[in-house]
Amino acid sequence: MKLGLWACSAFAAIMIVGCGSGDSGGSTSTTPGTTAEKPAGTTAGNLPLVVFSQANSADPWRQQFDAETKAAAEANKSAFKFEEQAAEDDPNKQISQIDTLMLESPKVLLVSPAEMSVRTAIEKAFDKGTSVILLDRGIPGDKYTVHIGGDNVEIGKQAGEYIAKRLNGKGIVLMIQGKGGADATNDRREGAMAAFKKFPGISVIQGDDCKYQRQAAQSYMETFLQTGKPFDAVYAHNDEMAIGAYQAYDHAATKPKTKPIFVGVDGCQQEVVQMIKDGKLDATFRYPDPGPKGIEVAAEILKGNKPKDKKIILPTELVDKSNADKYLAAHPGLAK
Amino acid sequence: MAIDKVVRSGGAVRKIFPILQKYQGLVGLVLLLLVALFDTPHTDAPGALFHSVFFSVGNLRNVLGQLAVPGCLAIGATFVILVGGIDLSAGSAMGLLNCICATWLVHGASTPLTIAYVLFIGTLIGSVLGAIIGFTKLQPFVVTLAGMVSLRGIAFVYTNNANISGMKDQIAFFESPWLGIPIAGWILLLATAAGTVILAKTVFGRRVYALGGNSEAARYAGVPVDRVRIGAFAINGFCIALAAILFTARNSNGQPSAGMGYELDAITAAVVGGTALVGGYGNVVGTFVGALFIVCLNVLLILDGVSYYVGQGWKGVIILLAVYLQNLGRRV
Repeated sequence: MKLGLWACSAFAAIMIVGCGSGDSGGSTSTTPGTTAEKPAGTTAGNLPLVVFSQANSADPWRQQFDAETKAAAEANKSAFKFEEQAAEDDPNKQISQIDTLMLESPKVLLVSPAEMSVRTAIEKAFDKGTSVILLDRGIPGDKYTVHIGGDNVEIGKQAGEYIAKRLNGKGIVLMIQGKGGADATNDRREGAMAAFKKFPGISVIQGDDCKYQRQAAQSYMETFLQTGKPFDAVYAHNDEMAIGAYQAYDHAATKPKTKPIFVGVDGCQQEVVQMIKDGKLDATFRYPDPGPKGIEVAAEILKGNKPKDKKIILPTELVDKSNADKYLAAHPGLAK
Repeated sequence: MAIDKVVRSGGAVRKIFPILQKYQGLVGLVLLLLVALFDTPHTDAPGALFHSVFFSVGNLRNVLGQLAVPGCLAIGATFVILVGGIDLSAGSAMGLLNCICATWLVHGASTPLTIAYVLFIGTLIGSVLGAIIGFTKLQPFVVTLAGMVSLRGIAFVYTNNANISGMKDQIAFFESPWLGIPIAGWILLLATAAGTVILAKTVFGRRVYALGGNSEAARYAGVPVDRVRIGAFAINGFCIALAAILFTARNSNGQPSAGMGYELDAITAAVVGGTALVGGYGNVVGTFVGALFIVCLNVLLILDGVSYYVGQGWKGVIILLAVYLQNLGRRV
């Protein structure tokens, strides 16, 4: 009997600690009130609830996105309560999380969908009367309140033009690809290809799918350098891959005589800006983080001001050696 | 360990411990529900017991809707673990079958035909894996690891590395409720019942336990070891196909990357539900409870605003605790 009690109480203790530790440990709630003593809810406390379903919190861009969203929500904590969940890029998990969050009857649902298929849960929430703010990736149809994001085609275009101008309209560009099938990858490629088309002297090598990962790009670049094929510029679909490609080039025994141009996209890490300052990378194009704008729109919705436009496009920024310091100062929330 | 001594010496404990152990998933679930009672947001919606969001009708639907896919996978995994095997390829197989199902539906194949075909392919994949293990005498871990890698690759090749979208709502009915519970939830309950009958009431079921308990002894006792193993893997494949169909209904598209890591969730549910990883001990009702426990834990953590990653940490602790309690009993 003693053992039964022991096991039961141990289990119970673990569960209670597990649930209670949320607020001190890793909770993303910005207001206290989800502890066992003081259950939070839709009726307890009169603040409306804003929930945020994040696709994942793994890569640096998302980390910066999370940090800036949380900071913006914290600044609004007198206006609403804020909760966040991340879904490891698994749409099925994200559907489950949204369904569960909706049980708390939030007024606004911010969601950055992992995949289009998350729309089933998003549309259910919208039909229930919740305001839905899509961040970054969109969904087809019109069952959402507003979509806030960057324009990857435009970013690709500007990156392509930058590279072509740096090469004086003549040279070979190695394009290191992001995750296959993802909209961001297609848009960043097509935008750049459209820009390169205007320069007949530019030819493009379509590199491998390196899944936006530094390690994968580094391995690919090491192999590519082995072939001895000439190239004048590297355009990577994100900064992590640009860093990976640069590191491979830096360590390689045989390399092109003149240092190729390295250009990435995202501009969300201090590391990248530092490498640009050091002359290792040449430029990056900021992929704007929609979190703070999303919180701003959510606060307006709670005040009764629905956004006029269904789509808000955030502008990009070129970061190169000339403005790197200014950029760092303007964006204190950059990932480490 | 002190607890070890208590188990060995105490008379009353000796009697109670096996019972506690047999129903450890259930004990955990009850404790979890008790925590939920005191620690969830309140609601004034009608039909919510104790004014708790967790005990609302909406959450019952939510939990059973979420449970269907991992639950079916876990039931399949239970059969494989019972014969002393393990299936690391379940997640990849589900991803491939998800793509096949979506592709057929997008191209206008009839719904019953698509479902039948997906179930057939799933069962076939399971049987082949089971047969390879018997034929090569390799560890199930290695064979299904190879399956995990290959099937994922096949899924990407099959879909040309893109998601399959454009499905109409042919199989959306799996998500709609019947008597307050999504049809996907009813299918899981049906699968649990069928699994229980197969294991408890058929010759095949008894052979599954015999093979998992001691394969050499089973062989000498005249159990057709290879055929039983293929049968268990085939049932697993069938369950994976079922999960894939329900997954397709829930996501209404096909993703070659779907189901990554789901095989581990399935094994976790079986272990928490009292199935021994060495084989020969456990049942599908326990697994159902184990899977329910994990889904309820996920839901509770979200409702309490605990970050997903903190939840993952605790899940690891719970797995360790579950296996530790099991092993204690076995050493008595």
